[in-house]
Amino acid sequence: MADRKPPEDALSNLRRRVDAARGETGPQNTPPAMSPAALGLRYGGEFGAAIIVGGLLGYGADYFLNSQPWGLVIGIGLGFVAGVVNVVRVAQSYSRANPVDPNAPSIPDDEED
Amino acid sequence: MANDPIHQFHIEPIVEFQLAGWDASFTNASLAMVAGAGLAAWFFNWAMKPAALVPGRAQVVAEGAYDFIRGMLKDGAGEEGVRKFLPFVFTLFLFIFMSNMLGMFPGFFGVHHIFTPTSQIVVTAALALMVFFTVIIVGFAKNGMKFFKLFAPSGVPGYILPFVILIEVISFFSRPLSHAVRLWANILAGHILLKVFAGFVPALAAAGGIFAAISILPLAMTVALYGLEFLVAFLQAYVFAILTCIYLNDALHPGH
Repeated sequence: MADRKPPEDALSNLRRRVDAARGETGPQNTPPAMSPAALGLRYGGEFGAAIIVGGLLGYGADYFLNSQPWGLVIGIGLGFVAGVVNVVRVAQSYSRANPVDPNAPSIPDDEED
Repeated sequence: MANDPIHQFHIEPIVEFQLAGWDASFTNASLAMVAGAGLAAWFFNWAMKPAALVPGRAQVVAEGAYDFIRGMLKDGAGEEGVRKFLPFVFTLFLFIFMSNMLGMFPGFFGVHHIFTPTSQIVVTAALALMVFFTVIIVGFAKNGMKFFKLFAPSGVPGYILPFVILIEVISFFSRPLSHAVRLWANILAGHILLKVFAGFVPALAAAGGIFAAISILPLAMTVALYGLEFLVAFLQAYVFAILTCIYLNDALHPGH
């Protein structure tokens, strides 16, 4: 420890070595891959939650406006729509995070034959 | 009774007391939550005590966790999100992660089993609602009436706008529900599954003969599921935190 370098020098040296080591293993901080089951649960949860909330809001509207059963009917309908919106959003964010490999073989289409 | 897979979720009061007519007993769930929060606080205090320029092993873990959440928040909500919400999101992540991990211990020192707080929807719903109200309060405080732009995406023709706003409102209110249910359902299902498979082992072994021989199969399955549950414990804490980042981003930048 007699020939100790000044800290600034040692720091930049460390930074260089850390960067070099990182470069070999690729970028850090990559999110863990989601299992298909977890992804499926996520879709289902988003869809179901919107229906429940839509139904509850419709039921609440019925309660205050005394318009049974129309609030519930319309609420559940809108809940379905909101659920689809939710699922599309999740799918979009998933596709953005995991882009399709451009070299992947195309899926045979049974429309054109 | 020992094979009852639901028994592990029973709430048992440790110190009973009433608060203005409400049952506010300190239960095994409260104890597990205190332990989870305390463990996280203790670990970071202990790991960061040296505060060395060149970190040791524990300090790398602590700094890595911090960097991980910081990067996640920066991707999700930008530099402003990091400045405002890093303590909140980091605390949420650590609390959920530690609670999940504590729940992976089957029990020791005569403790029958360790309670998993995140297997109760009350706990996860409280966490999700905390995020939900943070989004609303911060959104209105920062953007005022512009926060309503969250419900009206730009580029939608006027005649369809009321319909779209209604759907966006339902979608917005469905967030805390799916946010809470996802964490709760994953942990609950995982723990029941573990208990069911583990319960097969003594039942088969007690049956004797050929059944005793095949009791090794559910044992192997339990070990494999345990590995999976460790992954789920981390992944669900991660998913909860990343969704929090996405929702908080809406509070800061309501326009789509």
